[in-house]
Amino acid sequence: MRFPAAGAEPRGAASMSIARLEWLRLWRTNRLAVLMLLFGLFGLLGPITAVYLPEIIGLASAQEGFELTVPEPTPPDGIAQYIGNVGQLGLVAVAAIAAMALAVDARPGLAAFYRTRQRSAASWVLPRWLATTLAAVLGWTVGLAAATYETVVLIGELPLDRVLVGWTCWAVYLAFAVAVVALAAGLVRSTVGVTAAAVVGLLAIGAVGAIPQLGDWLPSTLVGAPTGLVQGGLDPADLLQPALVTVALTVAALALAVVLAQRREL
Amino acid sequence: MTTDAPPVLATHGLVRAYGPAAGVLGVDLVVPRDCVYGLVGPNGAGKTTLLGLLAGLRRPDAGTIDLGVGRERLVVVPDVPEFERWLTAAEVVALAGTLVGAPPSRARVAAELARVGLAEAADRRVGGFSRGMTQRLALAAANVGDPELVLLDEPSSALDPAGRAAVLDLIASWAQRATVLLSSHILSDVQRVADQVGVLRAGRLVYQGPLQTLLDRYLRPSWRLRVRGAVAPLREALAAKAWVEGVDDLGGGTLLVRTHSLDEGERGLVAVAASVGAAVVAMVPEEADLESAFLTLTDDEQVPA
Repeated sequence: MRFPAAGAEPRGAASMSIARLEWLRLWRTNRLAVLMLLFGLFGLLGPITAVYLPEIIGLASAQEGFELTVPEPTPPDGIAQYIGNVGQLGLVAVAAIAAMALAVDARPGLAAFYRTRQRSAASWVLPRWLATTLAAVLGWTVGLAAATYETVVLIGELPLDRVLVGWTCWAVYLAFAVAVVALAAGLVRSTVGVTAAAVVGLLAIGAVGAIPQLGDWLPSTLVGAPTGLVQGGLDPADLLQPALVTVALTVAALALAVVLAQRREL
Repeated sequence: MTTDAPPVLATHGLVRAYGPAAGVLGVDLVVPRDCVYGLVGPNGAGKTTLLGLLAGLRRPDAGTIDLGVGRERLVVVPDVPEFERWLTAAEVVALAGTLVGAPPSRARVAAELARVGLAEAADRRVGGFSRGMTQRLALAAANVGDPELVLLDEPSSALDPAGRAAVLDLIASWAQRATVLLSSHILSDVQRVADQVGVLRAGRLVYQGPLQTLLDRYLRPSWRLRVRGAVAPLREALAAKAWVEGVDDLGGGTLLVRTHSLDEGERGLVAVAASVGAAVVAMVPEEADLESAFLTLTDDEQVPA
């Protein structure tokens, strides 16, 4: 059988670097859009919820025949509502999207394509971790910007320097969370399994973080940092230790993820 | 084929066991350079395990693998190739080249896709490709890195006849510039493209060498014997002979007779026909095929080392 000769050159094949691959993964699968929409939505809803919560609770209690008074919202409440939402659903979404990229062995035929061409597991683990982290941080940034803007407009001024420190804390934490997903991908094969293992791991670290003294050192401290900072209960200097520990754990998780991926057989 | 060159791939006592009779149990494979080596065997013989070991996707329990080429010049096409569904065919080929350190030009990508009949689908996302198109895309992605050794696992097993023919043509053309090792249970495909063959049974290599040698050594001779009259007495007389392995009545006065040796058949068949009064109209030897040799080899209880 003979096939026709090559026709016009394909449009999209000028170069196919790893960076372009990871960009296309985020763009064409709508994962970047999902993260930005989700975090952005939470950012818009947080301050609105803080503003109208007293009214909603007042109406609800009146219908039940008693009066419940909720204090008027303060600017930190707008950020606290945002963090409350993204600290749960936002992190689950990040874990799921990271798992879709990092669970390389979930599809054996695709895994063979990469594994027989990229001999070092670091070649696929690290770019996918970096791209997903950047996408998550972008989503987080959009959401925080929306929450900050709405809080300032609807409730009152926020200490922007502390908001920026809070942004940094979450950026560091998101890098850690995606690294935990990479580690989970070294232990479990399926995308759903990797997501579940990573979420359980992050919850476990959060539970350990509830232990006094020990908790102050753990990554989970960074999750509540934006709220604590704008409320004044946390000083930026208090966050240096958990931030450094989180960076160290991120590096360790990535190193272990690479080792596990390298040792795994198809 | 160059016979005095060192093999492109050799294994020594390669073992990867999944129980006493499953996996790869001490395989000494020798793949000469610039040949098409067909690895055949029944289901569960260990073909996929062996290819996985050679590709570096699995680790052996014991034994060694000597590669005569760099790992970057070895490419693997699995039995069910998969790609990122959101990439176009052209992007897959470009990515495959980039990953092995040989980013291709647009013209090269176009040429590779045209070679496998996917020129028109170059800018289509592969998520919508059929199994056959994906298989051909895998061959384009494999070839773009100019490999010296190609490992193909069941490359035509799920294709329709036209797709199979196209893939076999591609493999045959590949053999002009690389060594190809393909595993398949479709013996006619192997016979069509391979010049060397290895037969795996229960994790052990029971034969390897030139395909023609296998056919000559293990094919049990058989003939289509067409006679006029006395068909039933002839069948009974042949079945009673010790040197006859089997007789089938094909109808229309034709018997398919298998003998233990070529010589016995050539000398004895006509004599037996004459003894029962049957007139021999035609005696046509059956054409040698890999399937017959394979069945003979894998049915044997005692297999030569």
